[in-house]
Amino acid sequence: MSEATTHQIPGLKQKKVFKIIVLGDSGVGKTCLTYRFCEGQFLDKSEATIGVDFRERNIKIGHEDIKLQLWDTAGQERFRKSMVQHYYRNVHAVVIVYDVTKPETFHSIASWMQEVESHGLMRAPRVLVGNKCDCGTPESRLATTYAQRLADKYGMPLFETSALLDSECDNVESIFMTLAHKLYSKQPLRVVSVEGELGPGVVTLGRQKRSASSNDSCLCS
Amino acid sequence: MESNNTDADIGDKCNLNGDCSPTPNKQSFDLNNAKNIDDISTPSELKFDEEPDYEDPDVKEKKKDLEKCLENPDCINLEQWQNFAKSKAGLISDDYRRKIWPLLVGVTQEELTEPPSLDELSTHIEYNQVVLDVNRSLKRFPPGIPYEQRVALQDQLTVLILRVIMKYPHLKYYQGYHDVAITLLLVCGDRASFPLLCRLSYGPCAPLAPFMQTTMQPTQHLLNYMLPVVSRADRKLAECLDKAQVGTMFALPWYLTWFGHSLNKYTDVVRLYDYFLCAPPLFPVYVTAAIVLYRADEVYACECDMAMLHCLLSRLPDDLPFEDILVTAKTLYENNDPTDLEPEVAALERREEEQRRLDEERMKRRQAAARSRHTSLSARLRRLVPAALRRLPVSRRGALAAATVLLAVYVYYRPDLLYNRRRENALEL
Repeated sequence: MSEATTHQIPGLKQKKVFKIIVLGDSGVGKTCLTYRFCEGQFLDKSEATIGVDFRERNIKIGHEDIKLQLWDTAGQERFRKSMVQHYYRNVHAVVIVYDVTKPETFHSIASWMQEVESHGLMRAPRVLVGNKCDCGTPESRLATTYAQRLADKYGMPLFETSALLDSECDNVESIFMTLAHKLYSKQPLRVVSVEGELGPGVVTLGRQKRSASSNDSCLCS
Repeated sequence: MESNNTDADIGDKCNLNGDCSPTPNKQSFDLNNAKNIDDISTPSELKFDEEPDYEDPDVKEKKKDLEKCLENPDCINLEQWQNFAKSKAGLISDDYRRKIWPLLVGVTQEELTEPPSLDELSTHIEYNQVVLDVNRSLKRFPPGIPYEQRVALQDQLTVLILRVIMKYPHLKYYQGYHDVAITLLLVCGDRASFPLLCRLSYGPCAPLAPFMQTTMQPTQHLLNYMLPVVSRADRKLAECLDKAQVGTMFALPWYLTWFGHSLNKYTDVVRLYDYFLCAPPLFPVYVTAAIVLYRADEVYACECDMAMLHCLLSRLPDDLPFEDILVTAKTLYENNDPTDLEPEVAALERREEEQRRLDEERMKRRQAAARSRHTSLSARLRRLVPAALRRLPVSRRGALAAATVLLAVYVYYRPDLLYNRRRENALEL
């Protein structure tokens, strides 16, 4: 399967693009997190995001150039209903952010998951990010075990980090790189499923392969 | 548009051909007492960038005229103030703006009341969201402003916003409202900016009212006027934007904040406010169209891709010639009245609706495909069971499936069984 995708498919761009949408309550640090990853530094005069902001970064996986597109969304609920919808189109992965010092932002993860589900992204790679772990006292911060339990429930990895600290830079990096690697390894599947809806050619190929292999292994026929 | 009809109606009606200015209310009063931030701690000159040095003789002349008019504001009617605000360089300096902005929207002396304290307002449901946004508005303050003064101003900003939404409880705060509020506050001070913001937020023609409805649908609808305006002026450009499906989101912060959120230069922001305070509510959308038209070459040079175009357009260059853009926008407005554009906007929205429907269908198909992949093993097993057996009750089917699996496993591990039998058969033959 992986061999099939390395073939040149006409009309498919050389450089692969992975679209990642960043969700979470207002003020949890979505903008700072994406800024840290794309610009390598902390955004010290960050403002409220109105609508949707966009950032990108080129990375390399193996020898392949990959473009990561990050869609940074507004946290305020009123922007979601009609506005952000458009940006869920063709999204490959999801980052949900909460603020470790504000339990209410953690409690709204359930509703964010609902939104992710309503857009059919439950099978897309997702990560949960507890941001601002440099803030507050250890007692005031949400316990990792608690967060981990929820992350396990939804089957997504948990990262705790700080967009502010330079020392956490690698951690921020690994959040998005984890997703990129997941997407990269998962890609053959995705290409087949996406192409399957657009062009019948690829789907027949997939089916032929599958039925051929099932024929081989089936002893009763 | 099917839902929230009331929202849409409000949005539609108040924004077509309306004018946010009330009937001329010529009442002479002193508005020059508003900047009470001056008596907070260190007196600092709240200056952003150098005020543009207008060498232009027209502007110098205008300055003289303005000063003369301000000596006798009673004798000046609203139209004259509007002419000042709209024509080249606008109201020129914040000293003039402080006095004239309230006049442009018809604020009266009685409306200048002392604001309540922040503590009185902190129980409001939107309090946390407002504070969150206000605390993140550092970029909007003059560089080098002393800490105490900035904090005091931020408190005033929170109070200002909460006062308005408490006065009109049906109006909903939106992220970006604070950008409008802070511009008014910085120019007019906290006493005058409250009635000013009220005028902009509440009323049949209030320009910010459509943004403050329960949903953003009215706002989205009004932003949809941009593309038809662009299309009428430059069809090729509109086709390019349409092909990339860039939408209108890149211009959303421009419209919601009257560019306050998106421009780096304070002087550009206040210049635009001069104009918007006396223009029809939909005028900022025409300015948006004028900016897109002005940047046509950049759009053509850009990859025809939603993300790339969104990225390009949403970032406004620092050197936009706003005087020219305002002139273009005015011409666009005169030539393409919002009522004329309605059929085109409706067509655009129908297309978007159709696209959304297709997206939803595609998503459902994808979900179904994912589900079927998940169950493909049992499906494959089922294929092995004759159709007649499939009509058996579930439990029996389950038992049969289990038996088939067990048989398969057994056969797999005992290939000799099958092999031998085949050989026996062959031998018999």
